[in-house]
Amino acid sequence: MTEYSNPQIPEGINVSSEHPLKDFFLMLSGIGIALVLAITLLSMFAQQLVRFIPFEVEQTLAANLGQWQLDRSDTEPLDEEGTAANLTDDEIALAQSNREKEAYNRRVKTYLQQLGNQLLVNTTDPLPVALHYIDSDMVNAFATLGGHIFVSRGLLSILPDENSLAMVLAHEIAHVQHRDPIVALGRGLTLGLALMCITGNGDGAMAQQLLGEVNLLVGLRFSRDAETAADQAALESLLQHYGHVASADQLFQYLRQHQGDELLEWFSTHPLHDQRIAMIDQFAAKHRVAQMDTTALPAWLQLSVHRAD
Amino acid sequence: MIDIIVFLVLLTLGYGFGRWAEKRHFASIIEREELLRGLLTFSGRIPPQGLGPVDAVLVGGNVVISIDYFKRISATLRSLIGGRVMAYESLLERARREAILRMKQEAFDSGASHVINVKLETASISKGRGQQVGSVEVYAYGTALIAQTA
Repeated sequence: MTEYSNPQIPEGINVSSEHPLKDFFLMLSGIGIALVLAITLLSMFAQQLVRFIPFEVEQTLAANLGQWQLDRSDTEPLDEEGTAANLTDDEIALAQSNREKEAYNRRVKTYLQQLGNQLLVNTTDPLPVALHYIDSDMVNAFATLGGHIFVSRGLLSILPDENSLAMVLAHEIAHVQHRDPIVALGRGLTLGLALMCITGNGDGAMAQQLLGEVNLLVGLRFSRDAETAADQAALESLLQHYGHVASADQLFQYLRQHQGDELLEWFSTHPLHDQRIAMIDQFAAKHRVAQMDTTALPAWLQLSVHRAD
Repeated sequence: MIDIIVFLVLLTLGYGFGRWAEKRHFASIIEREELLRGLLTFSGRIPPQGLGPVDAVLVGGNVVISIDYFKRISATLRSLIGGRVMAYESLLERARREAILRMKQEAFDSGASHVINVKLETASISKGRGQQVGSVEVYAYGTALIAQTA
């Protein structure tokens, strides 16, 4: 019977006595560091490589992706013709005012485009920009893929003169010239793909996430350096166009005074840094000239965009 | 943000309850193993010599243990870098010993002195969604030898 016995087996052979939290946090920090490194590298590569995408391709991409967001007034004719016989007086009046509104919006768009083109005159080999006017109370202006720049009615209503509007336009134009939108998109898509690979989302989820990224065309985030570079370029362009940079900080002053106003969407896409304001002031001080007359906005624009409040 | 909070709460709950349950289980296993130490179990097929006339009865014990959220996340992290999946090792150790204990308890209740030809079967269940192992089953069975009294 001696070969048949059940000796007591010591504990800890199959189960490690190491604390599970120690193991967990070691793994977590190791993987975390590796992930951060990989994502930083990927995003750096993406930012460098995406600049090699020709601007024409970017324009096609914008036309395919962002059709829904370009102002329809450019393309779609109003469909009030033909049914006029059945319309009541109110409806005719409404159609009339809609037509006037459309015409007005086109006029603003043309004005913005002209101002934008003037600011581009001094740039060598400029990438073409297309300006659009959004009939919205939101205080917002942004540049997106394909050189499309959007300016809202809310923004126009708070700007006192053409110089301050030119500063905003020049800033967004600079984003286009620096190709910041495609860089931001490229970085976003790369990071999205990388995260999807790691988390192992299925095909369906992947497509959905990519679509989500495309929706971000409106709210592309540019890096702080890109914002500073755009400010710098905008100031240079303003200086060349007007001979001075008076009124360049008007929008910033307004934003500073009205912090927390929910209509100020510009805040969310263009975080306000005191550093940025200081840079503008510094530039203004350096290029101070005797004649600092600001150009007024056209009378027709000034009157009609004023906000109800 | 809400996702992260839910994740952290689940992780903490999983860790707290999982660790508490595991500690209690191991204590109970060690205690009951000591109680049933007198009942000998072997994987060999041949009964020990000199037992005299015995009755042979099939006895078995089966256990299913679920993993907790913390173990799952810990194992997922481990699957990225490789190595000992300690979170699951303790789980399977508990399941094996508990299954053998339940088998021995059955044999003990039927008055057996030995269990021979002991074998273990394992299966993971609720494996469907996302190939995540939800819980593990271990079944231990053997032939109990009961000395004939007459």
